[in-house]
Amino acid sequence: MKRSKDFIIQIATYIILIGLFSIFANNLTVNLTRNNMLINFDWLKSPAGFAMAESALPFKPSDSYLWAIIIGWLNSLKVIFSGLILATLLGLVTGVSRTSKNILLRTLSSTYIGLIRQVPLLLQLFFWYFVGFLSLSNSSISLLGSLVSISNHGIQILGINLSAEFSALLIGLTVFTGASIAEVIRGGINSVPMGQWEAFRSLGISEIMGISKVIVPQALPAILPGLTSQYLNLAKNSTLAIAVGYSDIYAISDTSITQTGRAIEGFFILMVSFLLLNLLITEIMELINKLILNSN
Amino acid sequence: MQMNTRSTYIKLIRKNFFSNKLDSLISTVLIIFIVWSLLKITSWMIFVANWSVVSNNLSLFTFGSYPRLEYWRPTLWLIILIFLTLITLFWSKKGILRKYIPIAWIGMIPIGLILIGGGLGLTPIHSRQWGGLTLTLILTILASVISFPLGIVLALGRQSKIDVIHKACRIYIEVMRAVPLIAVLFFGQLLIPLFLPVGLEISRVLRAILSFSLFVAAYIAEDLRGGLQAIPKTQKEAASVLGFSPIQTMQLIVLPQAIRTAIPSLTNQVIGLLQNTSLMAILGLIELLGISRSLLANPNYIGLYMEVYVWLAFLYWAVCTIMALLSRHLEKQLTYGRG
Repeated sequence: MKRSKDFIIQIATYIILIGLFSIFANNLTVNLTRNNMLINFDWLKSPAGFAMAESALPFKPSDSYLWAIIIGWLNSLKVIFSGLILATLLGLVTGVSRTSKNILLRTLSSTYIGLIRQVPLLLQLFFWYFVGFLSLSNSSISLLGSLVSISNHGIQILGINLSAEFSALLIGLTVFTGASIAEVIRGGINSVPMGQWEAFRSLGISEIMGISKVIVPQALPAILPGLTSQYLNLAKNSTLAIAVGYSDIYAISDTSITQTGRAIEGFFILMVSFLLLNLLITEIMELINKLILNSN
Repeated sequence: MQMNTRSTYIKLIRKNFFSNKLDSLISTVLIIFIVWSLLKITSWMIFVANWSVVSNNLSLFTFGSYPRLEYWRPTLWLIILIFLTLITLFWSKKGILRKYIPIAWIGMIPIGLILIGGGLGLTPIHSRQWGGLTLTLILTILASVISFPLGIVLALGRQSKIDVIHKACRIYIEVMRAVPLIAVLFFGQLLIPLFLPVGLEISRVLRAILSFSLFVAAYIAEDLRGGLQAIPKTQKEAASVLGFSPIQTMQLIVLPQAIRTAIPSLTNQVIGLLQNTSLMAILGLIELLGISRSLLANPNYIGLYMEVYVWLAFLYWAVCTIMALLSRHLEKQLTYGRG
C-alpha cells in the first residue's frame, strides 16, 4: 500500500518535472530561434577582439575566446590563492587576539570584525580601489626602505609589480574574509576546554607556545569545516573583480557574452568552472584534514 | 578611600594591559595606534571632509530618481517601518500590541508595494524609477519573503524518501551554492526572459528579485536542513502514536521547531541579502550603491569618494545592526514562548 503510493508520487513528480522542463525548453527554443541563436560552442574558437590589462600568459586581441577564458581562469586562481593565504594569516592573528587577555587587543579586533562584516564587500572593494589606490599620485610612497612602494599604479614588492586592480581586489578580499575566518578560529579556540589553558599555563609554558602547540592543534578539527566554507566564499566573492576592472573568469565571461550574445553557453561554462573550483578547494581541504588527523 | 579606588584602578590597568613585558609592548603600540588613528579620523571628519555631497543629496540617497512630487509615498512607508521597528524593540511586551506586531510586519509588504508602485488611486510609478535606500529595502524584503517558502520546499524535498525529488532538490541546492551571486544576477537578467513565453516581459527590478530569491532559497534550505536534523526522531514517533498524519507532524511539530532553531542563521541570510543587493549597482539598478556611483560621476562631486563611501558604510552598518537587533528580539520572543 505505502510502496504503491510512493511509486505514484514518484511517477507524478517525474511527469511534473518533465512537463516544466519541456515548457521552459520550448520557450527557450522559441526565443533562441527568434534571435537566431541556437546553442553551440563554435564561437569559442573565434577571435576575442578585446585586450587584457594583465594576464599570466601572453594574450592579444586576435586570440580566441577560449584562450581568453583560460587566461581569466588563471587570473582568478592567482587572486583566490593569494587571498586564501593572506586571509588565513589575518584571520588567525585576529581570531587569537579576540581570545587574548589584553582588553585593548580584544576590543580592537572585535571592532574590526564588527565593522567589516556589516558593510557590503562591493563597497569595500570600491573603497580600496578608488580611495586606496586611484587617489594616490603617480609618485610612489615607499615603505620599509623602498622594499615596498605603493602608487596609483599598484604595489611593487622587491621588483614584483602588482597592478592597482589586483592589489585592491586582494586587499578587499583579504580584509573581508579575514574577519569571517577570525570568527571561525575564535569558535574553534573556545571549543577547547579551559582546563587545557590552565594546564599549559601552570606548566610554565609561554602563552604563544601554549596556543600554537596545545590549543590550536586541538581546535583544528572544529575550525577546518568553517574554514573550508570561508575559502569557498572567498572564491565566489573574487568574481566581484569586475567592479574594479580586474580580468577574472567572470569578467571575461561577462565581456564575451556581451559581445557574442551567447548567454546560455556562457552560463554553462561559468557554472562548470565554479563547480570544478569548489571541488578543488574542498578536495584540498579534505586532504589537509586527513593529514592533520593522521599527525595527531 | 580615594587612595584605595585609585590603587585598584592602577592594579586593574596593570593586570589588563601590562601584566608582562610582551603585553606592555603590545598595549603601548596599540594605544599609540588607536590614539593616532582616532585623531586622524576625527580631524578628517571635521576639517577635511566635504559633506555637502551627502547633505545636498539626502533625497537622492533615499529615493533615487523617484518622481519628486510623489516623495511622500516612500517617505510614509519608511516612517511606518521605523515606527514598527521601535515598537517591536521597545514596547512589544504590552499585551495587545504583541499580538498584532507580526501581522503589521507582514502588512508592510503590500502597503509598501501599493504606496511605492501605485494602485488604489495612487499614480502608478514604474519600477525603473525606484531607487536609493527605498529600492535596497524593497529588494531585500521581497526577496526574503519569496525565498523563505521556496527554501522550506527545497529543504523538505531534500529530506524526501522519493528518489527523484531528493535528487532534484539536492542538485539545485548544490549548484546554486557553488555559483557566485553576481553570475546568478547577471544571468537572471539575461536568461529569465529567454525562459518565459514570447510577449511576457518582466521588469529589471522584478528579475533581480527573482534571481535573489532563487539564490537565497538554496542557502535557506541548507540552514533549515541543519534545523531539521536537530529534531530528535522520537518526536516524529510520538506524533504518529498520537495519531498525527505525516503532513500534520511536519506542519505542527517538526517545521516550527526547525525554523526556530534556524532563526539565527536565517536572519544572517537576510542581513547578507541586504548587503548583496549592492551587487545590482554593477548590473544597472540605482539602489543605494548605484545611486552613489552616478553621484560620484557628477562633475560637481568629483573625487569625493571617501565622503560618499563613509556615509554609505554608515547607512549599511546602521540597517544591518537594526536587523540584527530585531532578530535577537525575535529569538528571545520564541524561546520565551517555549517556557
